[in-house]
Amino acid sequence: MKSKVKRWTSVALASSAAAALVVGCGQPNNTASQANTNGSASTAASSASTVSVAGVRIAKPTHLVNYKNASGTIVWAESFTTGPTASELVSAFEKKYPKIKVKLQVQPSNTDTNRADLTASISGGSSTPDVYMGDVIWPAQFAHNQLAAPLSDYLPTSFWTRFSNGLVAGATYNGKVYAAPLFADTAFLYYRKDLLAKYHLPVPKTWQQLQTEASYIVKHGGARYGFVWQGADYEGLTCDFDEYLADAGGSVLTNGKATLNTAAAKQALSFMRGLITSGVTPQSVDTFQEPQSENVFTQGNAVFLRNWSYAWSDSQNPQSSKVVGKVGVAPLPTFAGHGSSGYSTVGGWDLYLNPHTKNLAAALQFIDWMTSPQAQEILAANSEMPTIKAVADSPSLAKYSPVFALLPQVKFVSRPAQTPNYPAVSKAIYDNVNAALAGSVSVAQALKNANQQIQQALSGSGSGGL
Amino acid sequence: MSKAMEGHASFQTDGRRASVVRHDVRAGFGMLTPAGIVILAVTIFPILYSVWMSFNNIQLTENGFQFTFNGIQNYVDVYSAPLFWHSVWFTVYYAIVTVAIELFLGLLIALAIQNVEKLKSVSVVVMLIPWSLITVISAEMWGYIYNGVYGVLNAILQGLGVIHSPVNWTGEPVTAVIALMAADIWKTTPFVVIILLSGLQMIPKDYYEAARIDGANGWQIFWNVTLPQLRGSIAIAGLFRILQAFGIFDLPFVLTQGGPGSATTSLAMLGEETLFTNLHFGLGAAVAVSTVILILGACLIFLSAFRGMVGEEAQ
Repeated sequence: MKSKVKRWTSVALASSAAAALVVGCGQPNNTASQANTNGSASTAASSASTVSVAGVRIAKPTHLVNYKNASGTIVWAESFTTGPTASELVSAFEKKYPKIKVKLQVQPSNTDTNRADLTASISGGSSTPDVYMGDVIWPAQFAHNQLAAPLSDYLPTSFWTRFSNGLVAGATYNGKVYAAPLFADTAFLYYRKDLLAKYHLPVPKTWQQLQTEASYIVKHGGARYGFVWQGADYEGLTCDFDEYLADAGGSVLTNGKATLNTAAAKQALSFMRGLITSGVTPQSVDTFQEPQSENVFTQGNAVFLRNWSYAWSDSQNPQSSKVVGKVGVAPLPTFAGHGSSGYSTVGGWDLYLNPHTKNLAAALQFIDWMTSPQAQEILAANSEMPTIKAVADSPSLAKYSPVFALLPQVKFVSRPAQTPNYPAVSKAIYDNVNAALAGSVSVAQALKNANQQIQQALSGSGSGGL
Repeated sequence: MSKAMEGHASFQTDGRRASVVRHDVRAGFGMLTPAGIVILAVTIFPILYSVWMSFNNIQLTENGFQFTFNGIQNYVDVYSAPLFWHSVWFTVYYAIVTVAIELFLGLLIALAIQNVEKLKSVSVVVMLIPWSLITVISAEMWGYIYNGVYGVLNAILQGLGVIHSPVNWTGEPVTAVIALMAADIWKTTPFVVIILLSGLQMIPKDYYEAARIDGANGWQIFWNVTLPQLRGSIAIAGLFRILQAFGIFDLPFVLTQGGPGSATTSLAMLGEETLFTNLHFGLGAAVAVSTVILILGACLIFLSAFRGMVGEEAQ
């Protein structure tokens, strides 16, 4: 009997330890619900009057803040993408505004871990970080869950006119702007100019042309693989798929309804699957994220690579790249008959304001400066694509990287992130597209499943919340 | 002198001993208090809080979390999702297969090295390397090994002539599951070996001598002496492994991201995603609580099945 009791106790103890592991790790706490007092930001009731700015209708500011004489200390949570650039930005800011001190808080390098970390501390009512970097696809979800403050309530309407077209729209949810675009990113086609020259082939303008050229070069022993991209089961695949979809004339959502049961979606996904079955792309592309695809290319094993703007500087680093000086960059191709170049997914990072910040004025001053020409030049010099017109449209930008010179030719496509349930929408896309790439479901079935799951995710209720 | 004092004096010797015991008991409880508070704070409270969360519709508002009691609605939603049952099924067969293989391999290895005196300490240390590596790091390492383009596994297998074209290990549903299991077995078998090795060392040598005098052969000795005596160790190793295997998160999170499709999405991953990516706290809590119930059930089934298999007479 005694041993039985002991055994049960041990099971109970061990299981509760496991339970703590499962549920306890990021336990949101409910302590600081009083956070919105003493001068901190608050999500005020929306104003009836709206104004059109930067191509989007937003509510007029309700709590305009004069931050010109701000002082104090703020914490800036910086995500992995800027690396050492962040310290450079902070010291330049502190030099210009000596009354404000910025503490740098380096976030986890994995985007999802980063989001979980920010979500846990802000939902728990923490007043720091005052300002944080977040992905461009977060505004709707973060606004809906009160994790970001409506910047357009505090900043003058004129503030938003500094940004390039479309960027403010991407940060807007229900008529308010929740994030200031910090730097942009988008995809390009990287190609081996030595190989194209050797086989007398032009830079491809259409996807079909790319497939033919790649297959020709592989057949003649020029490279092991034709074309590598990101096909793993994650957000990056949604980006890749959205580009083919836009090129084929389709979109994930039309008037708030999932529209993946269309001929355009079928053309997009069939082409992606066809790249694999024709051998132009290795089958294992369905496990590739950016580093794996980039690695195959920089090791000299592929003719073409789809990747973000940073891949340029990586390909020119002799320590990690075997193709230095052999790489060309162009806008992504499109499907025949759909224009001269393809769509590129809009990526990048924004600055968000913690709704519980205790130093609103200093935080706004920081956001203002980070989107000023001085800071944006620093970002551009570190190969990050500027978001303000004054820097983005300047002809001298191309000296930093040839990808900047291509920007005027790029057609942009945004991910359908204007819903608080975007993560589930994206998962519905990348799970099913990935399954089709792996060959475990047919293209038609994958699109049918994705369409149904997106519809569930949009409702955000029931099992669509999983 | 009061009566009580008299009484105290008349039982002086025993009284002193009793007061020492009382003092010890009090000190014991005093020493347990900090640990008790910690367990309450980090284990009991989160569990109860999660259970409470799972019965609520939770919204994040500007005043923090807002709970609206909605009964078993979250469970209804979770249990009607095919993805949930897919994750349950994956988690269950993943755990059963890996734990069974680990126990079997662990037993083989422990038996093989128990009598090797010279290199035992070296081999134990070498074996512990996989176990001591942080899972995220070993998962990254296996990612390189399994890579369909430049992975070393394909290179070796092709060199040996076992396969003719590269296998896309983590990119196909079936091989992805096998690849995950292999990485897990590689990592955690040493843990089982260490526990079983210490169990083997505790079996009195006389038992073996007696068995030999009775004329038992090696097989009979194994079935009638070693295995019954090792019951406790196997139970402990199995229990710990079941706990970990049913809560598997980090290995698939890094190695396959739950893919291809959702072929390797474990329950813990589903819960994490629902809670922290989708911010559906009530649903996520329902997934987490379901996971805990599943783990509890698995442990109970393992222990009762295990007792049945080896028999009571050994004790």
